[in-house]
Amino acid sequence: MRIGDAKQSYAADEALWTSTTQQVWFGLLLLSLLLFPFFASPYLLYLACLVGIAVISATGLNILTGFTGLISLGQAGFMGVGGYTVAWLSLHTSLPFPIALLAAGLLSAAIGMVIGLPSLRIKGLYLAIATLAASVFLHFVFVEWASVTGGMAGLSLRSAQLFGLTFHNDFRMYFMIMPLAVLMLLAARNIFRTRIGRAFIAIRDRDISAEILGIPLLRYKLLSFALSSFYAGVAGGLFAYFYRVVTPESFPLSMSIFYLAAIIVGGMGSILGGVLGAIFMTLVPEGLKLLTTAITPIYPQAPVFMSPLLGVVFGVLIVGFLIFEPNGLAEVWRRIRRFFHLWPFRT
Amino acid sequence: MLERIHKQGRRLVTAAGLALAVAIGGTAAAQGESKEPIVFGGSIPLTGVFAFAGIHIHAGLSDYVDWINSQGGINGRPVQYVMEDTGYLVDRSVATYKKLSGRHRICCYYGDSTGFMQAIAADLNNAKNMIMSGASFATALTRVDKHPFQFIPGPSYSQMFAIILEYIAAEANKEGKKATVAFVYSDTEFGRDPIESSRAYARNLGIDVVEEIMTKPGSVDVSAEVIKLRRKRPDYVIFHGYVLSPINEFMVQMRQMGLNTKFMGTFWTMDRLIIDKMGKDADGFMGVMPYNYFGEDEDGPMYRVMHEQARKSDPNQAYRPTPYVQGWFNAMVWTEVVKRTLDAGKPLTGENLKEALDSIKDWDTGGIIGVPVTVKDNSFPVGRIYRVNAAAGRFEPVSDWIHLD
Repeated sequence: MRIGDAKQSYAADEALWTSTTQQVWFGLLLLSLLLFPFFASPYLLYLACLVGIAVISATGLNILTGFTGLISLGQAGFMGVGGYTVAWLSLHTSLPFPIALLAAGLLSAAIGMVIGLPSLRIKGLYLAIATLAASVFLHFVFVEWASVTGGMAGLSLRSAQLFGLTFHNDFRMYFMIMPLAVLMLLAARNIFRTRIGRAFIAIRDRDISAEILGIPLLRYKLLSFALSSFYAGVAGGLFAYFYRVVTPESFPLSMSIFYLAAIIVGGMGSILGGVLGAIFMTLVPEGLKLLTTAITPIYPQAPVFMSPLLGVVFGVLIVGFLIFEPNGLAEVWRRIRRFFHLWPFRT
Repeated sequence: MLERIHKQGRRLVTAAGLALAVAIGGTAAAQGESKEPIVFGGSIPLTGVFAFAGIHIHAGLSDYVDWINSQGGINGRPVQYVMEDTGYLVDRSVATYKKLSGRHRICCYYGDSTGFMQAIAADLNNAKNMIMSGASFATALTRVDKHPFQFIPGPSYSQMFAIILEYIAAEANKEGKKATVAFVYSDTEFGRDPIESSRAYARNLGIDVVEEIMTKPGSVDVSAEVIKLRRKRPDYVIFHGYVLSPINEFMVQMRQMGLNTKFMGTFWTMDRLIIDKMGKDADGFMGVMPYNYFGEDEDGPMYRVMHEQARKSDPNQAYRPTPYVQGWFNAMVWTEVVKRTLDAGKPLTGENLKEALDSIKDWDTGGIIGVPVTVKDNSFPVGRIYRVNAAAGRFEPVSDWIHLD
């Protein structure tokens, strides 16, 4: 049982890890992530890669929407910019993947800043519509700028390269995606230990007050857009390397809604929330299919009537979370942790 | 090195799984089939926007597999059909593929979309372990160099347009005049697919493409586009990239303006849905269909078998939509390809299956398609023009089978 959490210095208050137990658990998590691909089936490896990409993008959106309070429906568009950048670089240069991904992130960040400009004047639903318009505009560019984007047919990439190593299968892609996801999560966590992150939170809580406190809204709102789009760009770049094909239809509007749903279900304004939301949204539909698999041997027509039913169950689960735990899965996680911290006593 | 550890790790997990199965008394593996089944797999869209076709594709594939098993399977080996719903989402289709191909030794696979076929092509080209076809008629799949293990169970969209244009050119020849056409297509990969190649094809046939209109899929207000068409007065309007809407709007409005334009469509439009939704307004709508319609007076041993099996699996459904026939035909091609490979004494690898596919020449489909068919550039470039007879509630053929060379 943990009986106190007294902090005696600012450094302790800011620390990433508040206890040795946390460090041990995190070490174990890293170890299991490292060992996972050696034992996982191709299917689980694929899902893990998908989750890794989703975690990066959801964390990016969480920085913007969860921490800065700027709602965005442009995440898929920014991912598209990253995806196309990587695809173009892969076809026209022989740059190693870290540089291509960095370029994808930076270009997305630059475009994110331009698209973020209206956020100085508008917020809430109005900003959502403005970013939606940007997303439509980006889609238009992907389709029409055929000399660069390949038009409707899109671009087929070569596999990612680094020091002569080719990342041509999911096993290798895992070692590209997962470390990057962990790194970017740690970076995001660290942002909120700095002035920048706190400025974002201040803007979210009340932008006028933030400005009175000396936070330049222009700089920080655009910075938030840039950071968020950087994450989306890297995720989009990984998406392109992963599937080795990008088309305008690879980044539909529904993808933006997927990420928005992920951070809402996971818990806005919490790094862990973005992670849990991305995992939930990616894995639960797959998990629900296990039910169908279990019933099919008994009743061969099960896929036909179970598949639509599972969609309803997934929807009900999301609505259920919103009603019974509006703070998202991160809060559920915190409650579980608290239970074990205080065990055998009850909260 | 790492990949060797990966393989050993996987073996360890498999061994542990087997040990567990034995420990809990699972004797299924021990009692297993004496002959290894031939496995067909599928990423099938039972939900999502394509579910209207997906459920019938699934029925067609299932019914064919049930029938072939009742005939003793392929060369005495039973056929197993494994599938999962994808919701018509590419990432879930790929997940399904990885899951099923990890669990079964699949030799033929049904892909539910062009997006999926493109996303999986690189994996497939590396693995070289199966062939794949499906709901996609995308022209890109006819590029044998990029898609060596994928094929189209019919003509590509460009070939469908070519068949339509051949028909139009022949009709214009009979009348001794030059035909004019307009292309109306949706702003999607699906919609834009055949447009560029068809422009050139029409020019070569001496057909004038007088207007090209791109709309959102499912648009409702098309009055501005209709006015454009009224100015050009094309003999034919060819729609592509839609299931129904806005074709109905175009037809009704153009007819109200007194135009005697003929309206044509491609595979996904050419089902009874258009008759059910438009009623007598659908009369005269034409288009290309690579297969014989279900429930017609066509003849052929396989055509009869398909009807018997469909009745057996669901006696309440008098009519089966075209995706059912498409699913059935897919499984038929797979069976033929597997049979040819086994007959040649070769293992069921992607390369051998592909070789067998390419050897299909003047193949009699038993009445599913009205003429013997030949595989060319990963496709079966054949089709026939049909016209809606709204009073009879059916499509009637208005041309012979057209096989592109």
